[in-house]
Amino acid sequence: MTDHINPRNEELHQRFEAVWGKLPGWGTLAAVNHTTIGVRFMVTGMAFFLFGGLLAMLMRTQLALPGQDIIGPEVYNQLFTMHGTVMMFLFAIPVLEGLAMYLVPKMLGSRDLVFPRISSLGYYCYLFGGLIIVFSLALGIAPSSGWFMYTPLTDATYSPGRGPDFWLLGITFVEISAISAGVELVVSILRSRASGMSLGKMPIFCWYILGMSLMIIFGFPPLVLASILLELERAAGMVFFSVAGGGDPLLWQHLFWMFGHPEVYILFLPAAGIVSTLIPVFAGRPLVGYRWIVLSIILMGFISFGLWVHHMFTVGIPQLAQAFFSVASMLVAVPTAIQLFAWLATLWTGRVVYNLPMLWIFGFLVVFVCGGLTGVMLALVPFNWQVHDTHFVVAHMHYVLVGGMLFPLIAGFYYWLPHFSGRMPSERFGRWGFWLTFGGFNLTFLLMHLTGLLGMPRRIYTYEAGLGWDWLNLLSSVGGFVMAMGVAMLIVDFALHFRFGRRAGENPWHADTLEWATTMPASSYNFVSLPDIRSRHPLWDDPQLPHSIAAGEHGLADIDHIRRETWGTDAVTGEVREILHLPSNSWLPLQAALLIALLCISLLLRIYPLALFATIAALLILLRWSWHNGAHPRAAPVTGNEPAAPSLHSRTCDGPGLWGMVVTLMANGTLYASLLFGWFYLWTAAPQWSVPEEGPIALWPLLASGLLLSTAALPYRSALAELRMGGDRRLQSRLWTAAGLGLGHVALLLWVLLGASLAPQTLAHDAVLCVMLIYLLLHSGLAVILTALQALRVRCGYVGRKLPYEPVVLWPFWLYTLGVFWLGFVAFILLPMAWGDA
Amino acid sequence: MVIIPLLMAGCAGPFSTLDPAGPSASAVAGLWWGMFAAATAVLLAVVGLWLYAAGRTQRELNRKELNSELPNSERLDGERLSREKFSDEQAVRIHRRWIIGGGLILPVTAIVLLLTFGIPVGHNMLPLPVKEEVLRIDVTGHQWWWQVNYPDGGVELRDELHIPAGVAVDLYLTSADVVHSFWVPRLGGKLDMLPGRTNILRLRADEPGTYRGQCAEFCGLHHAHMQFTVTAHSAADFAAWLAEARTDD
Amino acid sequence: MWSPFHPLHLVLGLIVWAAWFVAMYGGLSVVCSVAPPAPALGARTWINAALLALTAVITALLLIQGWRCWRASAPAGEGSPNQRFIGRVAAGAYLLTAVSTLMIGLPVIVLPPCL
Repeated sequence: MTDHINPRNEELHQRFEAVWGKLPGWGTLAAVNHTTIGVRFMVTGMAFFLFGGLLAMLMRTQLALPGQDIIGPEVYNQLFTMHGTVMMFLFAIPVLEGLAMYLVPKMLGSRDLVFPRISSLGYYCYLFGGLIIVFSLALGIAPSSGWFMYTPLTDATYSPGRGPDFWLLGITFVEISAISAGVELVVSILRSRASGMSLGKMPIFCWYILGMSLMIIFGFPPLVLASILLELERAAGMVFFSVAGGGDPLLWQHLFWMFGHPEVYILFLPAAGIVSTLIPVFAGRPLVGYRWIVLSIILMGFISFGLWVHHMFTVGIPQLAQAFFSVASMLVAVPTAIQLFAWLATLWTGRVVYNLPMLWIFGFLVVFVCGGLTGVMLALVPFNWQVHDTHFVVAHMHYVLVGGMLFPLIAGFYYWLPHFSGRMPSERFGRWGFWLTFGGFNLTFLLMHLTGLLGMPRRIYTYEAGLGWDWLNLLSSVGGFVMAMGVAMLIVDFALHFRFGRRAGENPWHADTLEWATTMPASSYNFVSLPDIRSRHPLWDDPQLPHSIAAGEHGLADIDHIRRETWGTDAVTGEVREILHLPSNSWLPLQAALLIALLCISLLLRIYPLALFATIAALLILLRWSWHNGAHPRAAPVTGNEPAAPSLHSRTCDGPGLWGMVVTLMANGTLYASLLFGWFYLWTAAPQWSVPEEGPIALWPLLASGLLLSTAALPYRSALAELRMGGDRRLQSRLWTAAGLGLGHVALLLWVLLGASLAPQTLAHDAVLCVMLIYLLLHSGLAVILTALQALRVRCGYVGRKLPYEPVVLWPFWLYTLGVFWLGFVAFILLPMAWGDA
Repeated sequence: MVIIPLLMAGCAGPFSTLDPAGPSASAVAGLWWGMFAAATAVLLAVVGLWLYAAGRTQRELNRKELNSELPNSERLDGERLSREKFSDEQAVRIHRRWIIGGGLILPVTAIVLLLTFGIPVGHNMLPLPVKEEVLRIDVTGHQWWWQVNYPDGGVELRDELHIPAGVAVDLYLTSADVVHSFWVPRLGGKLDMLPGRTNILRLRADEPGTYRGQCAEFCGLHHAHMQFTVTAHSAADFAAWLAEARTDD
Repeated sequence: MWSPFHPLHLVLGLIVWAAWFVAMYGGLSVVCSVAPPAPALGARTWINAALLALTAVITALLLIQGWRCWRASAPAGEGSPNQRFIGRVAAGAYLLTAVSTLMIGLPVIVLPPCL
């Protein structure tokens, strides 16, 4: 604890700690606080980073000399698959999300993220999923078909082992964590800022994280869908990607790269956010071109979704279509260049302090610009035809990812170290670490460009002597080990500084953003009182802010109600709209994650009764989770002296829950859109697409079930309209009616599905229809269960005239369920009929 | 003067794209050298500018014989100085100049130039309809070998192709199992071999000789060893070879 | 038309761009698989003309919207600083999106559609 707490307000801080702190002992596993969870994400991610690096060392050992047989192809193929998978899914994304989770509330001047239990669930899903994937390597049956998992190499015929299943199930499990963190960050940034912090006053880092999170929302679902389909093909024999029966292996490639390319920018955005945060601090000058940078974040977020085919230039797509993607790939250089030159102008007009974080920023600049330039080259189609799948691409990709993500991340770690430990980094060790890493990296990968141009393909475990590749590979291996020494030096430096580092003073870097107004190390509640923020640089404009915050001179400094509270603010203007009350420590996330892990393992072992049990148990835990909300005694029970204006969010019709629902549905809608894409893609492009002569689904019963679902939404809607007017007449009976009619729909739809003459194991057409029907069934089933839950809550008095919040949250889900049903009806049933008749 | 032959020697190799032996590979190698020169210039310029920008205020302060070793706590003085030097309007002008010049004009110009050179190169590699007859060879990828058929000649080979030098051939590429990719680096770009589809790759070897090829798309356990050779013969030799191969069957 | 300061303007242009991009790629792919024009026609086919027309219309729309946002967010305008921030960024987004649309669309002038 540092200086801004004096004895006068010590007692206030202790009372806050009592409400916000972790449980003692093992109770720490029930922690939901963003500071704790963020650090856990980062530490776990770094552990996976070291593991992935170790795999790279093994590969470089094997490739150091031609014709070596230290590691055979079986193991080598597992190594490069796991290296890519671990670095992408278990290191890069989680570490950046962890850093964002840790920093965003502190920068926004709030006390926690808006869905703290989701943070915890996300962490456990990530941890368990990661362990399952890594465990496969210990068993020697790790996936060995590359991190891109191209079919048909990964289907049951060519990969009969369990390797691909580990990948598909484990990664899907980890992605739950990525998407849930994405939803949580979006809603937190939009709805829980400091009072008065309008969009234009937000710290630039939060804009980057907003961009990253939205990209995760739209980027990950295609891969989730693809993984589900491939797992269904492997485990249940359904046809999606094999040519016989009307599938297409290219569908996998499209879905994979629709995720895979945005992924690179998902990694780059937060790293660029670190750069944009550090440069103004060390130049002593506000960031030049704030609006330009916001603009380039938005542009990057969109344009990077229009590039995926540049990973597929060699599959034989018409050249005109390739040209669209080629130009789009080059155009992404525009927002990148805008940022580079905005940083340059900031340095130009400022006075730069040279220190360890800036050293890493300069390292980032050199390496990333080089990677960006080779990226523009690769976007040129004819050049791509030559170097695609060679070591040139390996070099390019590492320049972009290591330069564009790892270097800024380390700069950020050094910069925020005082936050984690209360101590400053040492300069000398750190410089050694930098130069070894930087030198080793360039030795390894600069030469690799040439290796690729000399024709060495990727993913070969050995090569013959005398092809001109020998000395290049040897030097690359040497460089790899030098870089490993650099990383080891960094770890030693980090570890030693916790013991020997100089104590950090208040705001040690003279930074401008609010995270430096907390104590160091940070307390669980961040700020005892929540200040009004009207400037982009609160700490430059008012250096006394940390003291007035710690003295409780600003908003929400009362803790007698023992609720965890923070401001809920308007998404655009940042004006206070309500008080958010957040859940406290909870075991539910751990229980849910354990059950999902059980589901994952039982699917791996193909013990389906156990999988069914785990699914139901996990669902029950999640229902219990949503039971402990709103006016439930464990959340914010109704008391006599509630704040009236602003009121508690669960007493309003618009809170973070509604926003969370809508953002989640965006991700879900992307999944559905990917399924639609797959349907139309196979219909037009699959080489052996065939349609059964008779439509396999009974048309009229399906239509009837749809009408029943639409009718079910009516009583829900009138109940909601009444709640919004402030009444609750017949609320419970209307909800029960909606649930009952919905149940009728579910029964009818299930009957249609069971009665349909589908042959999903021989026809891709039927397999897609089957997935679509199950998707609809799951949604309407969930709508029924959740509506019944709300009806029960009305009976218990947790929902009502004064507590309208939860039915409002559920309404978009009803609309979505209706939307996907009718869209599906048109796209999967009517359109093919019309097409067939034409 | 000494460097260039050394460089050229370093670029040779049986799989080297920088040692082209056909029009497609030559065009791409040309593109590469052009892009390499331009990219190096941009990299040096950007890094140089950054270093200059980062050092300039410091140098200015030194010139004014101010204490250059300001302790951290007094850094705010330097900040004030830099603010005095640039009013906010000046800063806006400077950033407009850099962001519009470097962020918009530079990349858009580079892209237009690149496409002007690049699109025709790509276009010329396509199997466009031509007047003269083009020799067709069917190549099918298997785990982990290449099946080569001459549909007009009834010849089937394994892991070797024979083509006439100096004329274009069309390779009809497909796969019997997983995705492979057909690549002869010294002759031209690669093209994937997909089950259920046939892609056409047009290649030409300028001179007779033997060129090596390999699978470029990861295809499982023995991917590293999935290689083949392309032998280009002069017109007369090719006719003789074809006749002999036919009689062998 | 709603206010030029609505935050949706920040992304609306790019959403239109994304839809346009899907229409270009999807339309081209469907035409090439259903009724490919003869390769001998080169780039002078009805599909190239249609794609070019679509590109021109979308570019013009984006430019008009961008101009609207820019004009509304002039320093002398009626918006609050927060609204002007959104208007300015939105205008930039529309402008750069229009540039991207034009540049991505231009290859239809020279390249044959289905080879």
